[in-house]
Amino acid sequence: MEHFELKVNGQNVRVEASGEMPLLWVLRDKLNLCGTKYGCGVGVCGSCVVLVGEFAARACMVPLKQVAGKSVLTIEGLSKTGDHPLQRAWMELDVPQCGYCQAGQIMAAAALLRRKPNPTDADIDAAMSDVICRCGTYDRIRSAIKLAAQGAPGSEEEVPA
Amino acid sequence: MSLESVSRRDVLRVAAVAGTGLVLGCRLASPDSHARNLSHGEAQDGPVFEPNAWLKVLPNDDVVIVVARPDIGQGTRTSMAMIVAEELGVDWRKVKVEQAVADRKYGPMGVGGSASVRGSYAPLRRAGAAAREMLVAAAAAKWGVEASACRAENGVVLSGDNKLAFAALAADAAKLPVPANPTLKDPAAFTIIGKRTSRVDNRDVVTGRAVFGLDVRAVKAFRAAILRPRCFTGRISEFDDTEARKVEGVRDVFQLGTGVVVIGDTTHAAFEGRKRLKTTENPGPAGKVTSASIREAMRAAIQPWPEAPEGKVVEATFELPFLAHAPMEPQNCTVWIHDGVCEIWAPTQVPDSLLGQAARAAEVAPDKVTIHVPLIGGGFGRRLVSDFAMEAIEIAKRVGDPVQLVWSRDDDTRHDYYRPASHHALRAVLDASGKPIHWRHQYIQAGGRTNAGPYRAESLDYGFGSVEARGGSVATPVPTGAWRSVGHSHTGFVYEAFVDELATAAGQDPVAFRLAHIEDPRLRKALELCAEKANWGSKLPNGRGRGVACFADYGSYCVHIVEATMTKGGVKVNRVVSTVDCGIAINPGGVEQQILGGTVDGLSCALRAEITIENGGVVESSYRDFEWFRMKDAPRHEIHRIESRESPGGMGEVGVPGAPAALANAIFAATGTRYRNLPIRLA
Ligand code: FES
Ligand code: FES
Repeated sequence: MEHFELKVNGQNVRVEASGEMPLLWVLRDKLNLCGTKYGCGVGVCGSCVVLVGEFAARACMVPLKQVAGKSVLTIEGLSKTGDHPLQRAWMELDVPQCGYCQAGQIMAAAALLRRKPNPTDADIDAAMSDVICRCGTYDRIRSAIKLAAQGAPGSEEEVPA
Repeated sequence: MSLESVSRRDVLRVAAVAGTGLVLGCRLASPDSHARNLSHGEAQDGPVFEPNAWLKVLPNDDVVIVVARPDIGQGTRTSMAMIVAEELGVDWRKVKVEQAVADRKYGPMGVGGSASVRGSYAPLRRAGAAAREMLVAAAAAKWGVEASACRAENGVVLSGDNKLAFAALAADAAKLPVPANPTLKDPAAFTIIGKRTSRVDNRDVVTGRAVFGLDVRAVKAFRAAILRPRCFTGRISEFDDTEARKVEGVRDVFQLGTGVVVIGDTTHAAFEGRKRLKTTENPGPAGKVTSASIREAMRAAIQPWPEAPEGKVVEATFELPFLAHAPMEPQNCTVWIHDGVCEIWAPTQVPDSLLGQAARAAEVAPDKVTIHVPLIGGGFGRRLVSDFAMEAIEIAKRVGDPVQLVWSRDDDTRHDYYRPASHHALRAVLDASGKPIHWRHQYIQAGGRTNAGPYRAESLDYGFGSVEARGGSVATPVPTGAWRSVGHSHTGFVYEAFVDELATAAGQDPVAFRLAHIEDPRLRKALELCAEKANWGSKLPNGRGRGVACFADYGSYCVHIVEATMTKGGVKVNRVVSTVDCGIAINPGGVEQQILGGTVDGLSCALRAEITIENGGVVESSYRDFEWFRMKDAPRHEIHRIESRESPGGMGEVGVPGAPAALANAIFAATGTRYRNLPIRLA
């Protein structure tokens, strides 16, 4: 079987799998990192958003071979203790309902804050509209992103990628 | 064998014998429950009533509260636990919530009909209060004082200078009889109920540790995918699995009840194998059915109107489409059948009814079935049906090893139990003063398999003289089921849109017109407050309109006022103001979440969502074509809760029905055009 090396949440990992396997299933079924969710598998829901390097990527659309040698950050690696400003803001404003989409929401927001530490409503619409919340928590997500932006810079407490 | 269920029984036995902790079953008087209790080891010595929920005071003073009702995003794990904790008198920070393994001893475990809080409020209060009384009695005996001289709060019992933590009293309390009618707290003294409380699972959710159905890794399981017929009456008559079996990680391919099953080491392998199956489908009798043919059949079923009294006649017809539930987490289920036991991890809304079904399907005794309920990525009524669990059991029986059945998004969209499509004809007559004196409603639903279409159509919230509604259905092959707010997802829109038309016909302001005819004081108050908060009547920018809608059921009231603008790209919802009266709010923040989410549901239905039938099957396959609101669509939403001491109402559905009507009414205000078919397609 083929094998690939990549960095996930700061750790080097070696994965034996077909290079065509989407990163989503590598994370979930090979590495048992289940924080990254399966919502559609065809790139339209955003439940699977992770960071590849600095950028948000839909893990269901990224084949393993494309991330060989790269750094992947998932929700599990966003902070050591759950104290990333976004995570704190999410808890503070009680954003989650069912919670299923929220890892994708937070990772998409993390990518946004790296580019725009003080996003406007328009920035939030543009960056976050790829991530569906079937429970309709958008208005609280919007507030939580702003709260996180005020509270602290986005990258300080992340595990180095 | 399930380690968890064994250990729970052991904990109980140890507690009863050695008194290491107080374990209390809250039992509901239920005459027929004794026989059933006998089949469960731990209930044998118990009196003749059925446990409903559990709480445990641990030696370290933590309190475990078991929540029996699944959390599909409506917040039961938080609100149910708050109710027990309130009466117990515990420090909320010391509460750990545990999800119940399915067991009849809990009584009804299902979540539907916005019934969780309403159905569990009294029994959960009694469970907490009974435990509190036992702890207080133990303390009183120890100190040689009257129980009435003691009180329990924040996890300690106090009397004068005496003070003991619950855990220190647990052994003594466990020896006391469970009071049948404990004294409940005066709601005015509540310290947990009514306090804005964050979801107990928030930290796990935001760190990715929360375990949803698809995240179950308790056993190492193969993954299974099923290729089902596209047509609802279809059957796969032949299949060729040569290419599928060549896929790396595919273990087996076989045909079972609902389709062709591919077993893989990973989800990817199972999905890839499925892609490479070559199948021939015999579509069966429904192969030509389309949305248009169903619509025609519904239209044809409408009867001519009988004679109406003199006055101004207003008539309109409304059409609503089929809808999928489309929960964020697709259907899935993990099953392991071995050594005469069946262990299931099921994201289900009905763990208790699944129990019997599963035992029959797995061919094991009911007490050999263990159903674990993980966190659930949305329900909306979809998971009231356990088809996915039945499939997983069938597969697990065949495979022998643990299996996780994974539905793809495509499966989930195309093999749902859909909210029925419906057609409505309405006719009203206004007298010279503009008062409706005659209201007739005919409704036809597509699909009669469940009572999921319009209902309580005569339960209009207005005093409109003579009111009658009658309905029927046309048969379709489309499987139908309950969808968040069920019948109100039809009539909530139709009634509030038509009432708006009557206001226009009467030449009256929509809010004033409603207030002139609504009798229920709680609904009137919600409407008055909403109008005030939304600055009803104030001037809006050009192109923007404002619409209102009222809704009452489930013991709760909700009013929406929506502002919307017509833009080049379509309708933009700018602002929503809602008022809600749900009686005592267990968790005010949770109440607001349900209004927020319910409104997004209602607005998505108004502008986006539609399931289309072609060739006897569903056209849409994902959120790409079964569209839902996204961040860019979502309005700013202000929610105002009306304080009340009435008993708690249901909250899961009350936010949905009025939202599309308020939006349609806003579009009328902006454009002068009535849009009566959902989703709204601008002319
Ligand atoms: S699962 Fe990747 S976008 Fe939906
Ligand atoms: S919280 Fe349920 S899908 Fe977003």
